[in-house]
Amino acid sequence: MIVFDGVSFSYGSRSVLRGVHLSVGFHERVAVLGGSGEGKTTILRLILGLIKPDEGRVLIEGDDITGKSEEGLRDVRMKFSIVFQEGALFDSLDVKENVAYCLREYTSMSEEEIDARVREILGSVGVEQAIHLMPEELSGGMHRRVSIARSLALGTPKMFLYDEPTTGLDPVNADNICRLISDLSKDGRGFIMVTHKVSDALKVADRFIFLKDGSLLFDGDSRGLLHTDAPEIRMFVEEINYQGPGCR
Amino acid sequence: MDIKGLLSDLQDFYALSFRGLLGIVRRPFYFKDAMIQMDYAGAGSLVIVFIVDLFVGMALSLQLSAELSSLGMKMYIGMIVGISVVRELGPVVTALVFTGRVGAGMASELGSMVLGHQVDTIRVFGFDPVKKLVVPRIVSSLIMLPALTVIGVAVSLLGGYYIAVFVSHQSGTFYWSSIRNILTMENVLAGAIKPFIFGYLISSICCYMGLSTKGGAVGLRQSTTMAVVMSIVMIIISDFLLTRVLLYVLGFSV
Ligand SMILES: Nc1ncnc2c1ncn2[C@@H]1O[C@H](COP(=O)(O)OP(=O)(O)OP(=O)(O)O)[C@@H](O)[C@H]1O
Ligand SMILES: [Mg+2]
Repeated sequence: MIVFDGVSFSYGSRSVLRGVHLSVGFHERVAVLGGSGEGKTTILRLILGLIKPDEGRVLIEGDDITGKSEEGLRDVRMKFSIVFQEGALFDSLDVKENVAYCLREYTSMSEEEIDARVREILGSVGVEQAIHLMPEELSGGMHRRVSIARSLALGTPKMFLYDEPTTGLDPVNADNICRLISDLSKDGRGFIMVTHKVSDALKVADRFIFLKDGSLLFDGDSRGLLHTDAPEIRMFVEEINYQGPGCR
Repeated sequence: MDIKGLLSDLQDFYALSFRGLLGIVRRPFYFKDAMIQMDYAGAGSLVIVFIVDLFVGMALSLQLSAELSSLGMKMYIGMIVGISVVRELGPVVTALVFTGRVGAGMASELGSMVLGHQVDTIRVFGFDPVKKLVVPRIVSSLIMLPALTVIGVAVSLLGGYYIAVFVSHQSGTFYWSSIRNILTMENVLAGAIKPFIFGYLISSICCYMGLSTKGGAVGLRQSTTMAVVMSIVMIIISDFLLTRVLLYVLGFSV
């Protein structure tokens, strides 16, 4: 369970979140929607303790992470796997080393075991052939897949966090990523997916949160989202032509 | 910038550079990352250090021979070139070259890692970015800048030799023997301490600036520019202060 208890956050004088109350179970499939710069990424960074709220508390499984040190946050972060905006692969390392990054540090696997494990994970997201490529040689869709693979290297987390996993991809690739996201949470593991593409959110999520001016303008299911009166949300919803049930 | 922001930036900088130094003796130590940085900083800078120091040595020797010949003291070229290069020009010029090539690279690389959430990723994976990113860069500068300085000094002296012998028609043996005479313990120490200080300054300033990048491409430009400008200014100022202290400690009278 992730709880935001009256969380406010600002970068310098720019206020991003204002007294947000939110609770999300680890099994939920949540989409966080909102325009550019509304603080979607900020929410994910708060959950992981990468930044601290100015006011309020963030609780992970009842544990207040607000005052924790980097050392203490390690266990909290291990509960999640995160795919940052644009993938955030280490561009000085090839795909194999990116995926093996944590394996090399936290396990005592031999070179052959690492190779086998990396191939297995890459295979599970469908990009095994890219193992020796550098990140700049990957297409957008492969880049996201490798990034998802890397976040899975140490084992399956309790919850997935995705920051704009489909942004900048063509519809086919975006659809494939949605399918992958759905598949990964088949066994009841939830996710929080940050996006500004309502169409992709509708394909995978069943709870929708809309951020506007630092607070939650909407929090509910797809029916509520599609029939809301709030003009800001209608702008987002009308841009899509919803083609029936998604890829679940 | 307001005073309060400036002070807190300064405090952050001290904290980072101190932790960076402490990280050298505290585990975990990422040996492989340090090796990669050393290769980039050292081997990668060899050619440019070679060219710049060679021409600085030649220009210095040329100027001196023009001036000294009118006084009939051309035989002092070797001595003056030697002292200026070993104590002053070699360390400073090499450090400036190092800033332009390696320091700017550190700042822009770390800056784009911040913007691309790669530093966030490192933290999420449970690594300390100071240990993983800053310490290897400080270590590589502490080892490679002194090494490059030695090479740079040697090349400068060689450039000075070329001008002294082939342009100014002095005796080569005499040039080298006057160089040997000035290579005393005091002179060498007065030059040899500098590159360690400069290396530490350059790497900690550039890492700090890189890691505090924010705000897209414009922010990256600002932090890289600031890294280079601050490094250059700090090299020049600290060179003066160091010279003052070293001359005093080593017993030179001014
Ligand atoms: N390191 C930073 N320093 C200062 N301001 C920042 C920083 N990071 C983000 N901001 C600002 O905070 C606001 C919220 O940022 P955030 O990244 O959470 O937005 P977002 O909803 O993820 O937007 P996008 O869709 O563009 O990714 C933005 O207006 C941004 O300009
Ligand atoms: Mg974002």
